[in-house]
Amino acid sequence: MTDVHALLLPVGTDLHALPVDWAREVVAGPTLTPLATAPQVVIGLFNLRGQIVPLFDTAALLGLGRVETVAFAVVVNSAHGLAALATTGVPQRRMLDTPAGPSDLPGTTGLYQVGRQAAALLDPAALLSPERVRDPAARLDLASNGDG
Amino acid sequence: MSGMSPERVRQLFAQEAEVRLAELGRLLLRLEQDADDETLVGSVFRELHTLKGSAAVAGLDEVSRTAHDLEEVVEEVRAGRRPVTAELVDTLLRGADQLGAAISGSEAEGPAAAQPSAVDQAPGPADTRPDPPPTATGAANFIMVPAERLEELARLVGETTSAQLRVGRMLNDRFRVDPATVAEFNELSRSLNDLRDHAMRAQMVPVSTVTDQLRRAVRDISRAQGKDVRWEAAGMDTEMDRGVLRRLSDSVLHLVRNAIDHGIESPEERERVGKPSQAALRLHAMQLGSEVIIAVSDDGRGINTELVEREANRLGIDTEGLSHQERLGLSFQAGVSTAQFVTDLSGRGVGLDVVRASVEAAHGRVEVHSEPGVGTEFRIIVPITVAVLRCLLVEAAGRPFALPFHRVLLSQAQEPSGADRADTADAARAEGRPVVWVDGSPVPVQALGETLGLAGGETFEGPVVVLASASRRHAFGVDRLIGQRDVIIKALSPVLPRLPLVAGAGVEPDGSILVVLDPPGLIQQAARTGRTGRTSMPTASAEAVGAARRSVLVVDDALVIRELQRGILERAGFDVRVATDGQHALRMLGQERSDLVVTDIEMPRMDGFALTEAIRAHPSLANTPVLIVSSRASDADQQRGMDVGADGYIIKSAFDEASLVTAVNRLLGVKA
Repeated sequence: MTDVHALLLPVGTDLHALPVDWAREVVAGPTLTPLATAPQVVIGLFNLRGQIVPLFDTAALLGLGRVETVAFAVVVNSAHGLAALATTGVPQRRMLDTPAGPSDLPGTTGLYQVGRQAAALLDPAALLSPERVRDPAARLDLASNGDG
Repeated sequence: MSGMSPERVRQLFAQEAEVRLAELGRLLLRLEQDADDETLVGSVFRELHTLKGSAAVAGLDEVSRTAHDLEEVVEEVRAGRRPVTAELVDTLLRGADQLGAAISGSEAEGPAAAQPSAVDQAPGPADTRPDPPPTATGAANFIMVPAERLEELARLVGETTSAQLRVGRMLNDRFRVDPATVAEFNELSRSLNDLRDHAMRAQMVPVSTVTDQLRRAVRDISRAQGKDVRWEAAGMDTEMDRGVLRRLSDSVLHLVRNAIDHGIESPEERERVGKPSQAALRLHAMQLGSEVIIAVSDDGRGINTELVEREANRLGIDTEGLSHQERLGLSFQAGVSTAQFVTDLSGRGVGLDVVRASVEAAHGRVEVHSEPGVGTEFRIIVPITVAVLRCLLVEAAGRPFALPFHRVLLSQAQEPSGADRADTADAARAEGRPVVWVDGSPVPVQALGETLGLAGGETFEGPVVVLASASRRHAFGVDRLIGQRDVIIKALSPVLPRLPLVAGAGVEPDGSILVVLDPPGLIQQAARTGRTGRTSMPTASAEAVGAARRSVLVVDDALVIRELQRGILERAGFDVRVATDGQHALRMLGQERSDLVVTDIEMPRMDGFALTEAIRAHPSLANTPVLIVSSRASDADQQRGMDVGADGYIIKSAFDEASLVTAVNRLLGVKA
């Protein structure tokens, strides 16, 4: 099994892992402008050297509540352009080895052990697709129905 | 002529196919993991469908057939007749590999079938494409630059402008020096403005850059189907952002294919119903204000709304009580096809929903107008993005917002207290909601914060801003007016869903982000939330009723312009007739006078100048006011217009609803 080089994203009490190839940079405490009428998963917009980047609530995208305070924005090179994921703590690089098990969350591909915690490996292509952003709840319902 | 060589077409197709095949591969791998995901199945189907169509246009019949075979397989899955299994994904992946190999081979060699004959390459008499501009300077003066470099250049210019504005603020704050009094600072500002304009201009391309592909498609498809189609293109020098045009080119190609495949009848059928055996398929592009309109129209059989309705019902869509226009709109639903037969080009319900999605991704909209037996017109209306728009900056619910100035009719302060306040119990009301009086007409008003759904935005303390869309006016209460400013509007990230109330965003001098609102979207939303039932069309005032008795003759050979002007003036309360050129207009005026004539200049048979002269020379028409609306913007043309006796002159690129209605009212002495 190939190791996964990942950026660990603390979001509340959870830990998520972003394949490091997807990460472009980390911005500390970005100045945010709320985007009126946007879905709840959009926390706001920020200026990244002249580019307007939407910041997404990582927890809300995964159906795990809401991020309360944005400490860092991890800028991702998505297929549809730049987007950023909010974290509540400092992102850190880590090599992940063998998966500890499957993940139940849509937009993730498996669980990896990180110390005493398990980090869900994110699938940014699925997580940051326009369909997911438009209606994450519907997709979650679909997933849970399928499971059930 | 500017016809693309077959090699160039195949090269472009190969570039497109590379991206599509990569995406197809990704989708298939995801499908294997998530076999029940219907959205994924639909995406796979669309990739294959687009590859098939594009390959046909590029003359790669074998590739097109392979894509069609694969599409048939996915259609089985889509219809629920075949499950997604690993074997099925194997088959599709192998098919995608075959497509890739076939495309690579054809790019190097090119199939014999794709070689057009000399006859094919010769322009026909119906070729109305404009000749390319003279190239006296020669091709040696052009260099190819990767688009990414231009985009980066524009971004850096924007950053530099922001930094320069910050320096100006620092001069003021720290050194108490007004930057406007510093000659060097002003010179830098001018240079940066020029640089910004040129950087943006460098990313604009004429619509003609995509029409060669369309023309070839028209030729090939009409030949394959035994149809006689005359291709007409106008306004091809209209420029728009390269990225927007690239996004739209697929959509326009879909519309052209659809028109030939199931809009235009066979020559025999056309003759049977009294039409010329040769059909007309027109592409017309134009800039109107800050928008570009691309219209694809045909004189075919029109869309069969009964068929669309049946298709919609089959998909479980309730169509009861829908108007003709709403039924036409159903054709943009996924799975609804306007074709009676499935062919290898269209008719699977793929296309119009994709068109709508891609146009909306470019922050535009698509409209369809169709009349049975007469023809169909699709209009794609998109903003010229990466453009600088003059905006009115306002504050609502404690946040700043920008409103594109060309949609602002007026802003007016309210009385500090009392009956005129729109947010008080004793405010003026009409039809169950608060209104403000604008030039004698009641216009509904709502707090902008409420329209945007902002917390604490239900009330407002400051002035009202009256906005106008193509069909409505609505006032919005704000907390204060901040000022006017040029804003470089950037489209929001495609990751975000389309937000109907947001046109884009700009970066402020201090680095913060300013959200630019979309007035037509705001008006629509306010009309929905303000009150259920009736629309927000203002009640006609005594003056407006007076205006309704006035008649206007609109003269323009372009259908889209004619209909736009007709719509605008009818909504403003005028009786409107239309004529297609100067001679036609004179004939109509001879039968019945109009109170005012709005005319284009460039028209067949008799142009607008000659028409104006003829009106002035005619004893009973000489006093009829004439307003010229033309794309000719030179001082000489405007002077000539005045010399021949026109009373007003509006340049089409600066034309919008408000300017037209204002000019017409002024010339007729009507209080707007």
